[in-house]
Amino acid sequence: MGVLVEQLLNGLIIGSMYSLVASGLSLIWGTMKMLNFSHGEFYMVGGYLMYFTNVASGMNPLLACALSLVAVFLLGVLIERTVIHHLLDKPGWDISPLIATIGISIFMQNFALRVWGERFKNIPYYADGNANIAGVEMSYQRILIFVVAIVVVVLFWAFLKFSRYGMALRATSQNRDAAAIYGVNIYVIYMITFGISATLAALAAVMLSPIYSVNPWMGAPPLLKAFTVVVLGGLGSLEGAIIGGVVLGVLESLGVFFFSSEWRDVVAFTVLILVLWIRPTGLFGAKAW
Amino acid sequence: MDIQNQQTVKRKKSFFQNETGLMWQSKPFLYTAGIVLLLALPLLIKNSYTLHILILSLLFAVLALSWNLLVGYAGIFSFGHHAFFGLGAYVSALGSMKLGISPWLGLVLGGLAAALAGLVVSLPVLRLRAAPYIAIVTLAFAEIIKLVASNLVDLTRGELGLNGIESFDKIGPISFTLAHRENSYYLILLIMLLTVFVIYKIMKGPTGFALKAIRESQDAAESLGVNVTRYKLFAFVVSSCLAGVAGSFYAHYIHTLTPTSVMNIDVMMQILVITLIGGLGTMIGPIVGSMVLVIGLEYMRFLGDYRMLIYGALLVVVILFLPEGFMRKLFPKAKEL
Repeated sequence: MGVLVEQLLNGLIIGSMYSLVASGLSLIWGTMKMLNFSHGEFYMVGGYLMYFTNVASGMNPLLACALSLVAVFLLGVLIERTVIHHLLDKPGWDISPLIATIGISIFMQNFALRVWGERFKNIPYYADGNANIAGVEMSYQRILIFVVAIVVVVLFWAFLKFSRYGMALRATSQNRDAAAIYGVNIYVIYMITFGISATLAALAAVMLSPIYSVNPWMGAPPLLKAFTVVVLGGLGSLEGAIIGGVVLGVLESLGVFFFSSEWRDVVAFTVLILVLWIRPTGLFGAKAW
Repeated sequence: MDIQNQQTVKRKKSFFQNETGLMWQSKPFLYTAGIVLLLALPLLIKNSYTLHILILSLLFAVLALSWNLLVGYAGIFSFGHHAFFGLGAYVSALGSMKLGISPWLGLVLGGLAAALAGLVVSLPVLRLRAAPYIAIVTLAFAEIIKLVASNLVDLTRGELGLNGIESFDKIGPISFTLAHRENSYYLILLIMLLTVFVIYKIMKGPTGFALKAIRESQDAAESLGVNVTRYKLFAFVVSSCLAGVAGSFYAHYIHTLTPTSVMNIDVMMQILVITLIGGLGTMIGPIVGSMVLVIGLEYMRFLGDYRMLIYGALLVVVILFLPEGFMRKLFPKAKEL
């Protein structure tokens, strides 16, 4: 029984990070109606930057994290400006972002491989030790991950709900022409959306890198998970992305518990297909932001 | 300013197309020239490495053509095409290794197995409308097939892979071993031409009209009495069957299979890039795209370690200038078939 509870908690914690990566993806779909295949690469860059600032230059984790996130935000803005912006409103918009983001993804992955090397890099835990809560062992690192996820989700939600940019962003996603008429500069919104989305992925990488490791290919699995989560929860729905992430994390841990770790993803994907079979719009339908 | 603009537009038009149409743009001429060139290539090229690259590009052309039937013509955004390719390869390879089934029969069995799998996957897919949902369901299915292939170690040896898969049996004096690559070339060329023929026939017939109607507006098609379910199912099954045949050819040509080599998402990405760069919803687009990309990638090997880096950047540049793919830029007038 204790093992099951521990597995479930682990699933919940990893799932909370899936939620972060997925809400970035969902944010971009909600506002720009495009799939971003380079999302996993922002995750990867986030991990590397954390390694360089925290481990290689020995900065304090908090400062290192802040620096990495700002850098990834700027990278996201830069890519939106130099590539995506020029594809907007052109013929072929339904397919051109796919190729563009696949190209960016291949470029960034191989950049990491060539420039930063193929050796796996490790980041030490930000918090050492284990907590023992009601007989369940849980490392402080994992507790920290969960706390960060909750804080960020609440902040993100408040940002969307109450800040001027958040409102402009939601208006753009609901009806971009109407938003533009009311004076929203939609191109700035797109730019910021891209930046925020990249930052969310990078934050997940910062938190998860001590558990996994930093390498050029680390972006692919979270991308796949995030796509799964986004669809499971219902595209364009923030609640869907967050709850979907947790559901996927828990499903995976149940898969490991009842079968074995090789069959973990098979279980998760089978459930995904069944859910969509029964509810073709995902768990939360396509609610507006 | 305005007049100047109009003039440039006019000049551009007359360069790419005029009222009568340039000779090299006329369809029968292009098709005949293309087929003759493809038939003659092994006579001109004796280098077995170059021939190998050509075989691979024809193989990817089959995959891209069959994916295009689903995505470009029927509007079903599948992202699991590599699973059917892998399934065909594994069924045919295991059939010949474990049961001693002739690889020629394997071509049929691989295609049938993939078609059957396509039938199963299309059931949940038929209920979905939005492209990302369809993409994820098909991708999830592909991941399941890949994981099953790598987890059933007793049968498939997992990531160690199947080695020493038989070549196609001799037909009279014609052998298909690696020493006689030109015969394998003609075999895959035949498969590709058959694929083109099948898709052409489908798209020219009533099924083609129905599929295009569904792509443009499912609701409108349905209200006019088009049996949406039947046609979508049909497109899915034909498309996966063709991918399965390609997989079976690949298994008996390469002689070795691992789940990652045939069913990794990279294969899907390659099919997608080929089709979209070539031109989605055109007949020639996937073939040209495959030639350009597969051969181009091989000849970028001189770039050494920086090859993929530059490839990624090139994709971005190409899509910035040709957001609709090569074929639509070169032949703006050519109707999509």
